[in-house]
Amino acid sequence: MESKKPPPSALVDNHVVPGDVILDLADMTNQTIKLGAGLRQDYDTIQATSAGRLRLSKPNKYWVESSQKRYIPSVEDTVLGIVVDTKPDNFLVDIKGPNFAFLPVLSFEGGTRRNIPKFEIGTLIYARVVKANSIMNPELSCMDASGKAAEFGQLKNGYMFDTSTGLSRMLLSSPTCPLLEALGKKLSFEIAVGLNGRVWVNAPSPSNVIVVSTAIIRSESYTQIQQKSMVENLLVKLS
Amino acid sequence: MMDQRWRPTVNEREFIEQALQSDLRVDGRRPFDFRKLKIVFGREDGSAEVELGETRVMGYVTAQLVQPYKDRPSEGTLAIFTEFSPMADPAFEPGRPGEAAIELGRVIDRGLRESRAVDMESLCVVAGKHVWSLRVDLHILDNGGNLIDAANIAALAALSTFRRPECTVGGEDGQQVTVHDPEVRDPLPLTIHHLPIAVTFAYFGDGNIMVIDPTYKEEAVMGGRMTATINSNGDVCSIQKAGGEGVMSSVIMQCLRIASVKAADITSKIKSKVEDYTTTKALQKVKRTPALVPKKVHVPDVAMKESTGALENQASKTSNDVQQISKGDDDQQNMKRNLPLTGDRTVKHKQTSTCIGGPSNWDPYSKGVSLSSLRISQLPDPPATVKDNKQEDVELMLTESNPEVKSTSNSGAAGETDEAQESRTPKSLKDAVKPKHKRKKKQHGKS
Repeated sequence: MESKKPPPSALVDNHVVPGDVILDLADMTNQTIKLGAGLRQDYDTIQATSAGRLRLSKPNKYWVESSQKRYIPSVEDTVLGIVVDTKPDNFLVDIKGPNFAFLPVLSFEGGTRRNIPKFEIGTLIYARVVKANSIMNPELSCMDASGKAAEFGQLKNGYMFDTSTGLSRMLLSSPTCPLLEALGKKLSFEIAVGLNGRVWVNAPSPSNVIVVSTAIIRSESYTQIQQKSMVENLLVKLS
Repeated sequence: MMDQRWRPTVNEREFIEQALQSDLRVDGRRPFDFRKLKIVFGREDGSAEVELGETRVMGYVTAQLVQPYKDRPSEGTLAIFTEFSPMADPAFEPGRPGEAAIELGRVIDRGLRESRAVDMESLCVVAGKHVWSLRVDLHILDNGGNLIDAANIAALAALSTFRRPECTVGGEDGQQVTVHDPEVRDPLPLTIHHLPIAVTFAYFGDGNIMVIDPTYKEEAVMGGRMTATINSNGDVCSIQKAGGEGVMSSVIMQCLRIASVKAADITSKIKSKVEDYTTTKALQKVKRTPALVPKKVHVPDVAMKESTGALENQASKTSNDVQQISKGDDDQQNMKRNLPLTGDRTVKHKQTSTCIGGPSNWDPYSKGVSLSSLRISQLPDPPATVKDNKQEDVELMLTESNPEVKSTSNSGAAGETDEAQESRTPKSLKDAVKPKHKRKKKQHGKS
């Protein structure tokens, strides 16, 4: 390992399009660079294969963050799915991906053949992606890794709407995004965000739900400051 | 095979109904509010794209000379074709139109045909042999709910801006029809008596809650729907209620009342957009004709009259008669200038409208030279000073105006100075008249 750290790519935190050369490896030796989504090694260069922002996690992890309406399932993502069919062994769940996902009937906390949950078509489920590759249908689970329920399962009442994958990631970012913080100061609501571009909002009064959902939908391309001011304007208008 | 249709969740269904109990809709509208309406016209006459919230529909009108139907030999025909493109909604299949597509086409067709909104008899060219057949194509670009209303507005907007070629009947037997090229003779608009506006209502929860202009999600969870086509006079052109929840007759009457209010509102929106479009088109036409187009004829009238009048005052030798003659000649001269333009109907219309185009090419007074600046120069100074001032003003003018205009305004300015000089010492009526002709000739020569 060289004592000198590899210089980070000049394009970090910039927008890239497929074909952009991120790094030239010709002048680097004996270094490990980890590539995440949207990047590919092409002989001596690292090129982007999807459009989005290039991100770097020190010291050497690169990936491209892109935002789409469709979702490509990847393992350990938490998603919101809609039950479209029930089979003897699993539920068929729509997670906005290329295929329907399977949710085994036993993947619930304390699940046995005796107490299989009864989900009707159209039920909203908060689940975790366990298996995902391009060949098979993805598999979900309503338990966390240790077998506990951990908030997974059916979501009752409330209202669900679609967003882009980028917006869901923004809502889940920590520290809490200014949008949710500003809304949370004035209104009481609970929210479940799926990385597949679905958001569920619940509140004691329907008007709160509508305010929160409209605010989130509108903030699709807003920066942090814009989000805050948009929410403030919205709340002022209502009070 | 995967069915890509969007499915509502149980949660949404319950929530939408629950929110409607308190008169709240998911997108923040009130129950009887339409979404934002936007109408954009295409480059060609007769094409319009309508955005009603997220729903987008494009309408396109074409016409063809055909043989009329045997039972209506002196009427044109109107046909509506709909295309539900799969890009609008994953549930739309390419190929044969589904039930919804046919229903939409029928409702719009009935609204236009039964109410005789478009005058069919004016489309007749030779009775029994040649009539115009109108074809309205409606393409659904994005299904955000309430396709019928949006498609209806698109059809109306397209029909209002459509122009059919002018044709004359001639020949030995009076049966030969010549269709004129639009460049040769202006195409004619259709005669539209009124605009039938479709207003769709969606019913929820036992038929006692209704909303106007349902969105995609509301349509998926509604119990039933009714479309009423009404014009701004309050005439009901058609009503469509195909299945769904039953509603009481009192509810239907209330819906019709609400629909007539909404129809008046939408009619005014469509009319103002169509008017904006036709005036922009007329403006474009005017700009294309060669340089001698006055855009604000009445202003140069006044400026010229008064300025030449002022100049007349300055010259001590002028008499009242000469003044009046020169004023009269101003009028005459302007009239003469107008002659080459009277053939073009659209320019006349332009002159009466309040649209302001750029400064006219030929008039040295249209820009820069204000009456007050001229008047100040008219203070008791010898005529030479006046001329100098005027020349300065004119030169200022030249530097301000466009380079392409410079030549014509130069000639105009030169003509003016000549005229001023000559008018200051008029000897007879002829002398007073001559300079105008001279100037006109100079103009023609330069342009």
